Amino acid sequence: MTSAMEIYQLLPKTNCKKCSESTCMAFAVALLTRAKHYGECPPLMEEEKYRDYKTKLEQLLKPLEGVEENGLIIHEELCSGCGNCVVACPVDVANDPHGSGRGFGPTNEKVIFKVVDGKVKAANIMECRRFGKDKILCRACIDPCPTEAIEFV
Amino acid sequence: MEQSVTWTCTGCALLCEDIQVIINNNKIEKVENACLKGKARLFGCKHPARSTINQVDADISEAISQAARILTDSEHPLLYGWSNSTSEAQHAGIELAQSLGAVIDSTSSFCQGITINEIFKNNLPACTLEDVREKADVIMYWGADPMSSHPRHLSKYSYFPRGELRQRGYEEDRKAICIDVRQSRTAKICKDKFYMIPPQGDAEFIRGLMDGLSGRVPKLDYDIKRILELAATLKKAEFGVIFVGLGLIYSIKSQMQLLLELINKLNEFSNFYLIPMTGHFNMRGFNHNLFEKTGFVHRVKFTDEGAISGTEYSVIEQLKNGADAAVIVGSDPLTSLPASVSRRLKNIPVILIDPCTNLTSKVADITIPCSVSGIEVSGTAIRLDGQTQEISSLIESNGLSDEVIIRRIMEELD
Amino acid sequence: MDIGKFIKAPEYDIIIVTYRDVFQASICEADRFGPECREMSAVIILDNTEMKRMGISNESNVLLKSKWGNVVVKVRASTKSEQKGIGFMVNSPWSNALVSDETLNGIPEYKNIHVKITTTKEVLTSLEDLLAGL
Repeated sequence: MTSAMEIYQLLPKTNCKKCSESTCMAFAVALLTRAKHYGECPPLMEEEKYRDYKTKLEQLLKPLEGVEENGLIIHEELCSGCGNCVVACPVDVANDPHGSGRGFGPTNEKVIFKVVDGKVKAANIMECRRFGKDKILCRACIDPCPTEAIEFV
Repeated sequence: MEQSVTWTCTGCALLCEDIQVIINNNKIEKVENACLKGKARLFGCKHPARSTINQVDADISEAISQAARILTDSEHPLLYGWSNSTSEAQHAGIELAQSLGAVIDSTSSFCQGITINEIFKNNLPACTLEDVREKADVIMYWGADPMSSHPRHLSKYSYFPRGELRQRGYEEDRKAICIDVRQSRTAKICKDKFYMIPPQGDAEFIRGLMDGLSGRVPKLDYDIKRILELAATLKKAEFGVIFVGLGLIYSIKSQMQLLLELINKLNEFSNFYLIPMTGHFNMRGFNHNLFEKTGFVHRVKFTDEGAISGTEYSVIEQLKNGADAAVIVGSDPLTSLPASVSRRLKNIPVILIDPCTNLTSKVADITIPCSVSGIEVSGTAIRLDGQTQEISSLIESNGLSDEVIIRRIMEELD
Repeated sequence: MDIGKFIKAPEYDIIIVTYRDVFQASICEADRFGPECREMSAVIILDNTEMKRMGISNESNVLLKSKWGNVVVKVRASTKSEQKGIGFMVNSPWSNALVSDETLNGIPEYKNIHVKITTTKEVLTSLEDLLAGL
């Protein structure tokens, strides 16, 4: 898994603010958490001297393609579809108390986790408690996973 | 035309009834809520079985007739498998065994059959999976790794859900304990309540635990403080359940009375129940159905004087010495039995009834393809806690079910 | 002179305990004859310290010999600390090639398989080899 520092090394480092972040380091963090895409840096996309950086950055960020906006990543090859995360997630329990809350498959579309074809899929990421103004370092989906298939970058 | 159907999964003996399957033009396209095992069962195998005689493609009616001829000519036939069949097919198999004077046994013979025997014989306290979800506060996984064998076990029933009496769920209202020889995936979830014991060390650990429960100092090479802590936790349980896995059973298989002693001891202080972790979706069904008919859960020979049972009638002992023909239904002994035993299948006529080509197909004299129970064939099955569940078919098929094949063989017997 | 090629690799006694794995089970249910099923089944998991003691490296092949049969499988180092003298194999035709025909209460010693383990340059035993060896 890459780091903000590694990403920063491949940016112009001019703090031009054209991406609407105050510094290139802030943009690097936004790229890591998938809040922004590298295409939002005009100098990187347009200037010949950064072409090498752009190619390397594309390669570096490829593994993060599965990463959700709040940094959630599901390693599908490790997932057994056990549903522990579905039932343990406090958002799933709150939004689907008689479904996921009681161990059944989700009974509405307001949940974050749902198992499809034997693998867990994430949706409604904005509801996750790691996101937003009052965010906390919730581990409710990480700790119950028997295979460490869920990670937050 | 796409439709979403609610389905009871036959991937394992949990028989999860909340699975959503999306079907389009009689073809399964997508499944929701089923774990990887359920998904694998639903989407089937890459090599469907074909009808063959002596390894050459043949007409299915001819294969059935030839199977009947083989059985008519044999003196000591063995009918084996059954754990992937509906209860209806199992009943047909038992009838066939009776009409042939055959030995009938299932995969439970080297799995949880002896546990279910103890449950029936000694009336061991049992509860349902729903009871566990609503009431259990202490849950033990002994020699069992449900995260690998029954993936939705903890999320659907035994640990993570909120329950009627466990509204604060696993975080505050439940304790999960694991006893095993390695840190399995289930042990990882149990964290500091995982007790690692040496292989074959279960009998000693049970005795140590019973000492702890009785207020005596356990005498074994183990962290005594931890055993006493465990005993204290078990004593305070309001509703305890032990999920018994093969790790425990294989270790105490010649001392099964220890299970009774442990459960009785626990019930002096609290309420404890026992549930065997049967694997295949209807393994337990065979034990119940055979018991209903004969008073035995497995390893039965039908004689003129009635049904008898004993270790000599187990599939393993029959293959070593006795069987002169074998009918195998929904099982693959060349994969699941020791090679030192399954090699005997090369020396006797073998009739294999299965939806898929498997290793045993390579040595079978007759292979008869059957429809997949729970996907192409409906019926009933018995869950690992002994509850009967309806299983429905999802798609239409032109194939014959194992029950129909067995009955046609019966009709053609001389 | 290469003395090494005249010296047999040392053999060690270990006990194999079989276990279940959901990934191996679902792959083999779909395609029992495929390479993925073999790769996931013909494996023995060993403790890291034990591997050092026995001079066995991760991802190398080993020959497992019991009174009942031999198989060549690949070694995978456990990510956890395991008990001494034990190896873990998924319940499969590879593990079953090694199991005795003796039983207690009608049940074979699936979780108590006594074998000798030694490093080998031979390739993994194939399904065809296993069937031929029956």
